[in-house]
Amino acid sequence: MSTTYDDTAVSDSSVAAPPRRRALLLTSAVVAAVLVVIAAFGAGWFASSRNHPGEDSVEAGFARDMSSHHAQAVEMSMLALDKSTQPDLRLLAGEIAQAQQAQIGMMQTWLRDWHLGPTGRQPQMSWMTDGASLVHDGLMPGMASAADMTKLRNATGHDFDLLFLRLMQQHHLGGIHMVEGVLAETNETDVVWLAQSMANNQRAELEFIQQILAKIGA
Amino acid sequence: MSISTPAGDSSRQTAPPAAKKATAGAGRPPAARGARPSGGGGGKGTRPGGGGKSRKPITPVKVSQGRSWGPIALFSAVGVIAAAIIGYGIYAVSVGPKDWKEKAEGISGISDFRKSDPKLVDTRSHKSGSIQYPQTPPVAGDHNVSWQNCMGDVYDAQIANENAVHSLEHGAVWVTYRPDLPKDQVDALASKVRGQEFTMMSPFPGLDKPISLQAWGYQLKVDNASDDRVDEFIRALRLNATLEPGVGCSGGVTATGTTPRELQQPQGQ
Repeated sequence: MSTTYDDTAVSDSSVAAPPRRRALLLTSAVVAAVLVVIAAFGAGWFASSRNHPGEDSVEAGFARDMSSHHAQAVEMSMLALDKSTQPDLRLLAGEIAQAQQAQIGMMQTWLRDWHLGPTGRQPQMSWMTDGASLVHDGLMPGMASAADMTKLRNATGHDFDLLFLRLMQQHHLGGIHMVEGVLAETNETDVVWLAQSMANNQRAELEFIQQILAKIGA
Repeated sequence: MSISTPAGDSSRQTAPPAAKKATAGAGRPPAARGARPSGGGGGKGTRPGGGGKSRKPITPVKVSQGRSWGPIALFSAVGVIAAAIIGYGIYAVSVGPKDWKEKAEGISGISDFRKSDPKLVDTRSHKSGSIQYPQTPPVAGDHNVSWQNCMGDVYDAQIANENAVHSLEHGAVWVTYRPDLPKDQVDALASKVRGQEFTMMSPFPGLDKPISLQAWGYQLKVDNASDDRVDEFIRALRLNATLEPGVGCSGGVTATGTTPRELQQPQGQ
């Protein structure tokens, strides 16, 4: 069936046709190569944006904000280790300081692994549904104000213990709220794992806080 | 596939070559066979024509259909992979994630002392008492053993340079403003600092510009709190500019005053 075509091709222009066809082939090869380069460029962009959470993702927002949230719990716990003489309160404070500082390290490592900076361009908490409305004066849910922190630094003895436990209670409740916020919106394995363990730890610590409060007569 | 096709090809071609040699160019068939993957299209037409003269055209048609798809597929695949690698390379170089130093350098008007004064930026011993710094406010250098608390603290009075520089070493961004800055702008700056650890803010009398931002080795002076570069500076350098990753901002001096505070006594025991 293609014989006739081939035959005419030869008889018509056995010299002129091949270069034209070659040029056509070359052109289509170049076009194909350019298309493949463009496709690969797009694929690279697509893959890198899908491989890990992006700049404005829920996961990145959580990692950044929970790092800030944790940092204050560490600050309060270090004050407690410095100032309290209650053995069980000191034990609790040491546990919180160590766990939350380690978790900050994990969350900061995620951000580095995701090629994201530690500071986002969105307002705090905006990764969470209605989250931005939960921020008051730069404070995320449960965080102690500057005035509370000054009070805590200046308090001593029984007053300190009471204030620390109350502030940490609020802090944990706020933290668990944020954890629930991220768990509702992410499937990222590491984030789910760490967020879930934060909720579990902090719920257990809330019970411990209740026990100490009952014991020291609150 | 790449093996079976050439084999079938050559077995089919055992008869035709004689005819081809007689009619078409002598050097052609071997050359066409070798050059098939790249530009075989031209040769395809000539050979069947030659075969058609001596015999029924069935055999030449088979020759043209029996092109070595194996090598063609192989070369195409290699080509596609090469093009894909080039494409990804272009992606990675052009729009791949920028590192924080590039972002900082991209802020117009920023002073990068890591480049202009690497010696100063490498100077970071603990010294007590007051220290003279080449920049106002200071951006790096020796400092007090105690750092200024930089947990988003908004100080309402001047703080000691010697403690503040230590906070910069920990990765803090220090926002300073001239005391005559209008209150709404002071509040706007405070809202960028409060609750955000690894930042702190304090008034700084005698500034040559209304607002000056410091991170270890970097400084940016602006006229207005609404300048976008304030956020850009904080985003690029907060935490990133640390020389001691993992070291925090709490547990520092919370008092104000320009006299450096040495180690604090344990409180309230």
